[in-house]
Amino acid sequence: MKSIRGCMKPWLLFFMLTCAFSGCASVQPWEKQNLAKPEMTFEGDRLDTGYTEHIYSSKEASSGGSGVGGGGCGCN
Amino acid sequence: MFHELNDMRKQRELCQNRKASVLGALLASAAMLLPLANLVYADAAPEKGMVGIKYLNYHDSQTGDTPLTAGMSRDRIDVNALSFMGMVPIDGKWTIAGTFIEDSVTGASPAYHGWGFPAETASGASGDLRHAGDLNVTRYFSRGTLTLGTSYSEESDYKSLGCSLNGTLSTESKNTTLSLGTALNSDTIDLDRDTVVGGKRNPDPGRKTVFSGLLGVTRVVAQNDIMQMTMTMTHGYGYYSDPYKDPDIRPGHRNMFTFMTRWNHHFEGPNGTARLSYRYYSDSFGIKGHTFDAEYVQPLSNDWQITPLVRYYSQSAADFYVPTGSDPLVMTPTTGMAHYSEDQRLSAFGALSFGIKISKEFGDEWLADVKYEHSQQCYDWGINGKGDPGIPTFNMRAIQIGVSRKF
Repeated sequence: MKSIRGCMKPWLLFFMLTCAFSGCASVQPWEKQNLAKPEMTFEGDRLDTGYTEHIYSSKEASSGGSGVGGGGCGCN
Repeated sequence: MFHELNDMRKQRELCQNRKASVLGALLASAAMLLPLANLVYADAAPEKGMVGIKYLNYHDSQTGDTPLTAGMSRDRIDVNALSFMGMVPIDGKWTIAGTFIEDSVTGASPAYHGWGFPAETASGASGDLRHAGDLNVTRYFSRGTLTLGTSYSEESDYKSLGCSLNGTLSTESKNTTLSLGTALNSDTIDLDRDTVVGGKRNPDPGRKTVFSGLLGVTRVVAQNDIMQMTMTMTHGYGYYSDPYKDPDIRPGHRNMFTFMTRWNHHFEGPNGTARLSYRYYSDSFGIKGHTFDAEYVQPLSNDWQITPLVRYYSQSAADFYVPTGSDPLVMTPTTGMAHYSEDQRLSAFGALSFGIKISKEFGDEWLADVKYEHSQQCYDWGINGKGDPGIPTFNMRAIQIGVSRKF
């Protein structure tokens, strides 16, 4: 039971945060001009991101977080 | 998620064109224009394709800057890499996107703690030449996307093949997007090589299988704020030891969990954007990590843009990490232990990075950029776990130069 409760904690946190932010004010399409700027999206320069994530994942124990997929590497 | 960028660009163009004089009319006749707005926000494939190329020069070193680590300073690894990307929209409903990278590695990394370097040869931990690539096909729907991806990575002693399936689903208002994803990787490690540690040499290759799952939510919080929360869970089993490090025997499975939250805020006055993120990491090796990233994107005149960035990272040690003894040049005995490693990447430490990226657009099609990043790891900079004072300070710097073109 303890391990099940341990597994539930992150999902519970995620669910609570999602609920909290679901109450945010609704933004209308014509109010999104600043949100439309490329730097406001979560997708950046793919090649830059690829290099940077590879560098840090090969020098640190932590990795991932923003997505799934992609090739493994013998460096870690 | 090219579709997000595309949708946003479309929206920006629409909004900029109409910003001044038409905005009042838009607001006054919002109901009449809603169908148009919804059309603009549809998950449509990008109208323009893109190609890009980027060069990386990487160098790292360690510095024996304490009485215990004095004399352990040395250069370690150099990497030169070239990568390419391409994205082609098809028929307004599909995109095919891919990347390819070739990198060459020279230098050496330590076999245990901060010492035990092979004699003037390439590090056994990494092949001299690595090729890696991925290919993703995305189908766009009115309120979502579905992406099928495949990837490979190959070096002289390591091969990895992977496939993934990712999907997004947006609410009608496009203010909330749910993301789901799953991936499978199969890795093969060649253990029949002269550079493999004697006790690990084996004519049969080591194998590793890794399953991953993702759940994420992206939410428009306000006119100038957007946030994203993503959770990933990974289960892997197979060969996790490092064939070139000794002593190093790791458990045959690894479960990993990450929780990442990102927040972007646009400042109206300077027209700049702050991009903040935090990642929590935990795994069955007993490692917990915290990563904080912050960068600020500031457009300048003549289509220049400058982005300073800073990153802080901290990790605790693996349960089976064996620290240095009184002499960090000598490996620590591991007699009687089932699992053990003296890989410094499994020790507790903190790291601070800073960098800057400068880019310039040439017309609507060309973009050039250059980026410099420096990072330093130190055993006593962590916030979660006491570090190993016998590990020398680690430094790295990376320089990227890139060009891309839309067509």
